[in-house]
Amino acid sequence: MSRPLRIAVAGNPNVGKTSLFNLLTGSRYKVGNYPGITVETREGTIRATKGWQPRADTPAPTLVDLPGTYSLTPISEDEAIAFRTLTGTIDQAAPDAVLLVLDASNLARNLYLALQVFELGLPCVVALNMVDLAADAGVGIEAKQLEAALGLPVVATVARGGVGLDALLHQLDRLGQGGLPKPAPRLVEPASSHTALRACLAKLEAGGVSPARARWLLAAVAADNLELCGASVDERERAASLDPRDLEQAIRSLVELRYAEVDRLLAQLPSSGQQPGQAGQAGQALAPAMARSAKIDAVLTHRVLGPLSFLLVMALVFQSIFSWADPFMGVIEAGIGALSELVVGALGPGMFTDLLTEGVLAGVGNVVVFVPQIALLFLFIGLLEDSGYMARAAFIVDRLMARVGLNGKAFVPLLSGYACAIPAIMSTRTIASFKDRVVTILMIPFMSCSARLPIYTLVIGSLFVADAPVFGPFTQGGLILLSMYLLSTVSALGIGAIYKRTLLPGPTPPLVLELPPYRLPRIRDTLHQVWDRTADFLRDAGTIILAVTIVLWGLLSFPQVDEAELGPGETAIERSVAGRVGKAMEPALEPIGQDWRIGIGLIGSFAAREVLVSTLGLVYGIENADEDDAPLREVIRDAKDEAGKPRYTRLSGIALLVFFVYACQCMSTLAVVRRETRSWKWPAFMLVSMTAIAYLAALLVFQVGRLLGLGL
Amino acid sequence: MAFQDDNPMTLDGLNLGQRAEVLAVTGHGSMSVRLLEMGFVPGVEVALIKRAPLGDPLELRLRGYHVSLRRAEARRVQITGVTA
Ligand SMILES: Nc1nc2c(ncn2[C@@H]2O[C@H](COP(=O)(O)OP(=O)(O)OP(=O)(O)O)[C@@H](O)[C@H]2O)c(=O)[nH]1
Repeated sequence: MSRPLRIAVAGNPNVGKTSLFNLLTGSRYKVGNYPGITVETREGTIRATKGWQPRADTPAPTLVDLPGTYSLTPISEDEAIAFRTLTGTIDQAAPDAVLLVLDASNLARNLYLALQVFELGLPCVVALNMVDLAADAGVGIEAKQLEAALGLPVVATVARGGVGLDALLHQLDRLGQGGLPKPAPRLVEPASSHTALRACLAKLEAGGVSPARARWLLAAVAADNLELCGASVDERERAASLDPRDLEQAIRSLVELRYAEVDRLLAQLPSSGQQPGQAGQAGQALAPAMARSAKIDAVLTHRVLGPLSFLLVMALVFQSIFSWADPFMGVIEAGIGALSELVVGALGPGMFTDLLTEGVLAGVGNVVVFVPQIALLFLFIGLLEDSGYMARAAFIVDRLMARVGLNGKAFVPLLSGYACAIPAIMSTRTIASFKDRVVTILMIPFMSCSARLPIYTLVIGSLFVADAPVFGPFTQGGLILLSMYLLSTVSALGIGAIYKRTLLPGPTPPLVLELPPYRLPRIRDTLHQVWDRTADFLRDAGTIILAVTIVLWGLLSFPQVDEAELGPGETAIERSVAGRVGKAMEPALEPIGQDWRIGIGLIGSFAAREVLVSTLGLVYGIENADEDDAPLREVIRDAKDEAGKPRYTRLSGIALLVFFVYACQCMSTLAVVRRETRSWKWPAFMLVSMTAIAYLAALLVFQVGRLLGLGL
Repeated sequence: MAFQDDNPMTLDGLNLGQRAEVLAVTGHGSMSVRLLEMGFVPGVEVALIKRAPLGDPLELRLRGYHVSLRRAEARRVQITGVTA
């Protein structure tokens, strides 16, 4: 059997590429109504449907889902991924064919990228997607007409409803049968009056560069982004020799020529009512596809109601994460508790039982217990992205982000940071400038991720009266929690502003943000996406935490000492390896109001924050220790030092909370930062700076608090 | 137009609901290329739909879609023929 055909799925952001990819391959991946959600390529094999079967003699084609791009002039990492996949690089050949997805309700812009893709000269099938929305907006268009205008197979589809799937599969199949020979590249040709464009293209093409390549090289030079395109040394030199004034003129002519071609094509679709864009037509003020969305935006981006609804949405998200997740967490905890009792009952007391219950089950429990919160956050982020609201949120907060020195697009990664830094850091790929990306990456771990919640909950629950009313609906616990989130948000923004002005200076990035029409999210797609993201979290975080908990359990249990050898008041744990390390740390911990037990927890939680809770559980020798275990809270509350005074004061509790707001206690985050920045420099900087900030902040809180006589 | 303005109006000078025709995108570098490729080419009609709650950025309509630009970027787009 021959090698399967590789077909790249290309198109503007948010036109339904991922939805089509999922339908055709049967895999479920992230779909989102936020421009630029797909930040990596994903591959999948086309699967059979009722109406289409792959042939026995040829393997079914492979689809590659690309990030959306407006043009083939990449300005950010995600666009560069799409670009390099389409044009091919040294280690990866160009795809065999392209499945070009167009938004039928917005051909006037979508066709621009189409022309650039045609220039590449790859066999191409066009999916005219969202024909349902186009018809609703009164700009319906016949696939046949577009097919005639383009001279390429065009299939009308509704990715959401699975309409047109079989027709599309048959067209893709024809590609595999060599039914579509490689077309000649269709190039827009400069007229004789375009002297600058002619001169530049001639220079670039001189070294044997193909005309298509010369055209995107030209745009890449004009955009100062040659390095994102992977141009060769020779091409770079040639590009550098272009006359800057010619270049400026040439790029304008090239883009204008392409748009003239787009308008010529649109004119061949008489019935479409698509707005080609020329002035002087009796066009409406709004884009036709936006008529309904504008009514929603009358509230959601209103001068006063807009920010209010934004705050309301954010408040709702957080309130539900804290309150809706609670019952589920209770069930999970009870389940884990029951399970370890079962284990104890079945195996009887002993070393191995301890390992299973205090090590394995507690470790797994520590992760599983977050799942409701993380899943809820992913659910909300998914719904906001899918509905189109995320783009509005970016529109509203852009002014604020500009103060920091970033743009509204950095808001989405930061918001995801409240759930988990790992997906958040990956989603920074949509940020154009590398420096700005690093600033955002450095800000994200300051956002209070859900792994900090169990620590907040434990400390607040142990040392404060969580449900004592303060005023109105606010309780002591709620207010402390809210302050920690405020502190983390304000700190993230402030630190971003500082880094942007000192460490990674640069101009405030511009904002070019499409505001897509609102769409009703498809709950099934969103739930699938929640499942995928949550499963990723469970796998990544779960394995680390499990391993760390087991290792820690060992360090805490060995060497084993005989009860009789212990001095008065001494516990076996103090003699263990971990206990000794913790004791050695005590001089550094005392100034921030902590003792060696917390020290052991801090070491353990370097791997992952939430380990602190299970470690304290281990230290205090409580079976089935897990987050919301009342006994652990009570033990901490009642713990007394040698002089019989409470071991932990409220002030030391606050200092510990503040420490965890700032500390970078997460190995997975550091690993992702290493991968995304391709250097150890940034993760190392992140770890050292965050730990230092955390220590100093806790020191400040504890020492100032003591000076003020706040034993609390 | 017989009369050539030395300083043509730019997109940030539009009032809400007004429309105009793009004359040119000024400047160079990636932002100029991006604006051109997003459809801000001479002759295209642009309308100012809305300003964000804090006055910036702007929501604009062109070529059948809506896009948000800051005033600073809108200033790079020269316009003519403003109509209500
Ligand atoms: N009504 C309608 N909605 C669609 C159709 N195709 C996709 N959608 C919706 O459009 C939104 C965007 O779809 P995606 O598949 O994420 O688009 P994409 O092109 O992969 O987006 P990026 O990954 O951001 O580039 C989702 O909310 C889909 O449910 C369609 O044919 N009709």
